[in-house]
Amino acid sequence: MKALRFYLELYWIALKSRAEYRVDFAVGVVTALSSQAAALAFFWTVFTHAPAIGEWSSAEVLFLFGLSAMVLGLAEATMNGIWMLPFYLVAGELDRLLVYPVRSLPFVLISRPELHSLGNFVSGAITVGVAWSLAPPPVAAYFLLPVWVVCGAFIYTSALVVVGSLSFITLGHHAWHMMAVHNLLASARYPVTIYPRWLQILTVFVLPFGAAIFVPGNWLRGEYPAWVALVAPIAAAAAGVGLAERVWKTMANRYQSSGS
Amino acid sequence: MTATALRVATFSHLAASFALLAEKTARTRLAYRSATLLALLANGVAYSVIVLVWVAVYRENPNPGPLALPAMLAYLVTAFVASEILSLNVDWRVLQRVRMGLIATDVIRPLGFGTFQMAQAVGDVLVNLVFATPIVVVGLWFVGGGLLPASLAAALCGLASGALAFFVAFGITFLLVQAVFVLHSGYGIVTAKMALHQVFSGLAAPLVMMPEALRDIAVWLPFRHIIETPVTIWLGLAPSAEVPSLLAAQAAWGASLVGLGSVIFSSVLKKHQVQGG
Repeated sequence: MKALRFYLELYWIALKSRAEYRVDFAVGVVTALSSQAAALAFFWTVFTHAPAIGEWSSAEVLFLFGLSAMVLGLAEATMNGIWMLPFYLVAGELDRLLVYPVRSLPFVLISRPELHSLGNFVSGAITVGVAWSLAPPPVAAYFLLPVWVVCGAFIYTSALVVVGSLSFITLGHHAWHMMAVHNLLASARYPVTIYPRWLQILTVFVLPFGAAIFVPGNWLRGEYPAWVALVAPIAAAAAGVGLAERVWKTMANRYQSSGS
Repeated sequence: MTATALRVATFSHLAASFALLAEKTARTRLAYRSATLLALLANGVAYSVIVLVWVAVYRENPNPGPLALPAMLAYLVTAFVASEILSLNVDWRVLQRVRMGLIATDVIRPLGFGTFQMAQAVGDVLVNLVFATPIVVVGLWFVGGGLLPASLAAALCGLASGALAFFVAFGITFLLVQAVFVLHSGYGIVTAKMALHQVFSGLAAPLVMMPEALRDIAVWLPFRHIIETPVTIWLGLAPSAEVPSLLAAQAAWGASLVGLGSVIFSSVLKKHQVQGG
């Protein structure tokens, strides 16, 4: 309980420090909206030429778009600190974070919320709203949506932590390896059934964004029973968090400070 | 101060400095090979999604537009190659140097700030050409001879168009990056530029496949001349009669953007406060 209060307080301070840069915040939100708009422009182009993709209608794919954006937005707002790991390592700044008497992974994750996430989250929520107005879901979907978003954010962050931990081995002033994971999240905007088998396995089981985005979408289409739409995201999130913790612990043990 | 320092730089001196700077930039980028390779991988992942979505579209509707699937795949792979070759680090470099205050030394260089940035951009392209080679090999395996130019004339005009596309890409970046001098933060500017590039350059789809409203906007913007114009000329998708006007449009956009960037730079610099002490 004490630890939880500490993390909440830390998060609140980090949030306030990020909110100091108001122009950055405004530009960041506009930027996030423009990125989502760019993705939707491609969606528009695609659905000009085909009534459905992989037997998914435009409204059903739009739901995947919206849910992906909400997942990204929540992850960026709450657990974004992993993106700073390569820079902390190069500058020797991780020492400071490791000496605190708390678990280092959550500490690193919540230490740098990204406020432009608001743009991603809001645009995602609006997109889901539009999708659901075009194809109304069962009432249960409204209650399950927060579960999907939270689980998706944990899965995405876990994948970033696992891949980002490579920074402990390959020191460098870049985060491109994590960018590959980020770009893979974009694949969740379309039904996984249109991808080759290896990519389906990758996005449903290995880096299981699909468990929190595609599986709920498939339930809404009547393809899966409701319990799958509830259990699959939670199970994937739990497995992801467990794996991320383990990988982080193993890799952090190899850490050698580069500072003086 | 010595007489050598006061000597007026001749064109050959400037050209030699330009070439040397481009080479140094390329060497620096090559020193960070793993970062460049991972960037390529990350971009490849994102672009694979676009290609796979288009394959799914053709599966649903075998005739979605004027391009058949093999021609579309050739277009997409060539567009990705062009995009990787013309991917310039000018904005990220300037952004970082403005934030750290190091830009102060860049603006007083005898080569001139714009020329200095352009030389570094040429260095970026040299390295990108090296790293684009494996993409071309994979692309050839993926779509076969469809990647090759339609004719010798198409190849020559395509290469000329690629060179002009560099000026357009540099001009847009050089113009937009000046906002960083005023805002001291350029993440939003850079990402917004990337979003516009993604929609209007023809990277994700040639203009003929875009919805009419998007196409109407794209034809008035310079972004199409970075990817769509060189790629369609290279592949012979642009009608021969239109090639001279396309090249002229690229040259006009390139000259205008670089010229405008140079003209407003001195006023932007007057508003800039160097960071750090």
